[in-house]
Amino acid sequence: MIRESAAEVRILPDDQERPGVFARLTRSGWFMAVASPAILLILWEGLVRAGLLDARFFPAPSSVVVELVALCRTGELFVHLGYTLSRVAIGFALGAVPGVLVGVVMGLSPVIRAFLQPAISSIYPIPKVALFPLAMLIFGLGEPSKWAIVAVAVFFQVLISTLAGVVNIDRVYLDVAADFRASRWQAYRTIALPGALPFIFTGFQLGLGMALIVVVIAENFGTEHGLGYLIWHSWQIFEVRDMYVGLIMVALLGYTSQLAMARLERSLIPWKRGGHLNIRSTN
Amino acid sequence: MHDTKISITGLRKEFRSGNLSVVALDRCDLQVREGEFICIVGPSGCGKTTLLRILGGLESPSEGEVTVKRTHAGTPLTSMIFQEASIFPWMTVRANVAYGLSLRGVGQAKTDEAVGHFLALTGLEPFADAYPHQLSGGMKQRVSVARAFANDPEILLMDEPFAALDEQNKVVLQEELLRIWSESKKTVIFITHSIDEALVLGDRVLVMSGRPGRLKADLPVSFPRPRAVYDLKGDAEFGRMGREIWMLLREEVVGA
Repeated sequence: MIRESAAEVRILPDDQERPGVFARLTRSGWFMAVASPAILLILWEGLVRAGLLDARFFPAPSSVVVELVALCRTGELFVHLGYTLSRVAIGFALGAVPGVLVGVVMGLSPVIRAFLQPAISSIYPIPKVALFPLAMLIFGLGEPSKWAIVAVAVFFQVLISTLAGVVNIDRVYLDVAADFRASRWQAYRTIALPGALPFIFTGFQLGLGMALIVVVIAENFGTEHGLGYLIWHSWQIFEVRDMYVGLIMVALLGYTSQLAMARLERSLIPWKRGGHLNIRSTN
Repeated sequence: MHDTKISITGLRKEFRSGNLSVVALDRCDLQVREGEFICIVGPSGCGKTTLLRILGGLESPSEGEVTVKRTHAGTPLTSMIFQEASIFPWMTVRANVAYGLSLRGVGQAKTDEAVGHFLALTGLEPFADAYPHQLSGGMKQRVSVARAFANDPEILLMDEPFAALDEQNKVVLQEELLRIWSESKKTVIFITHSIDEALVLGDRVLVMSGRPGRLKADLPVSFPRPRAVYDLKGDAEFGRMGREIWMLLREEVVGA
């Protein structure tokens, strides 16, 4: 606190008063994170009950929760969730592993990079969903075409992030590897892969997001299971509350998988400066 | 010279990029004896680093000849200590120091012994399992030094390793380096822009000209070892030599 007078300027400690309840709540990250969706839901519920929102398109959140509980009771929801989860998981693995491998090799070898870059740059911008009909032609209507389209979407995200990660590794580390006479394979294993790991995880996160988008659309075809199917089917039979249940589940799945990925990243990359520092002045 | 370790004659290095070409080194000659501690000072951009990178096999010469005598088969000839922080952020201190040995497939027991020895010598033992981001700048450069020594090369190539450190850490690390070096007596080529540092550490100080770099002067430094940095700095001979080197360098810096 600065107190000025004509004769002097005094710099003093701030007042030690305890902040009020409201001030303390707004400073709590947890409270602020929950506040905005809570306010939105309360507003929504109120507007529906007041008859200001059309409940056919925007059913009251409370009625959606009732439906969600009902679908959990019958176990139907878990079947849908299980299908979607397994499609995402298998597709992700099929796409992420080659994505990392090709990315690392391209990053360290200018020759291979020059050879593959044009093909990758031209395929990358195609919305992966547009490739789904092709995937169904090749792999049929069943599971493999869904794995394939998720894998393709994940592959490109992971490849491009990995490549950026390897290319951005500080030159001096490669000099050190050369100075210690590391073989090509040793340079991949000890420098390129760990050095690019933070970028690789960014690729994983983007890839997961992409996988969810793709899988929800793909589940409109050739299946009667999965959260995407739940959403599309509810739309066809105009069961709007079920559609919302599907949307909520997809959102939850996206959120929890990102959280899990962030946790995995923290445990696999212990050398990254730990998390976000929350510094507050303590007077 | 009967025990010549490194012999460089007529070395020239030219970098080309499109139509541009820069001659970093020209008509550079140098003889280094086994176990000698050589310090090279020169104006910035004079090709000191290039010379070191050629010796380390990271660049190849455009012209001339570099011969390095090998005394032990099976151990590496050179290890480099870089100016900037070059220890791997993704490895613990211990893994960083063990890097060269693990690449060569040296057995676990031998690696542990060598790594433990140099961790102790550099005072890094308490930080053996820490990651570099948890260390200060001085500690990081200690890891660099330990990593190079643990690799057990015949020649150590140091490229201004202490340039980025604060003055106090610099003195502490110089004395540590002398202590570690004195027990192994490896051949050292040490590049620096600090005249004091060159005089404190070296058996010989070589002064390089501005670009293209050539060796301009070769001054033996005969202060007895072991040396203590601040005892030397008060010495009259130290001051006289420092002035002499400064006059040589000044021509290059001002003339450039």
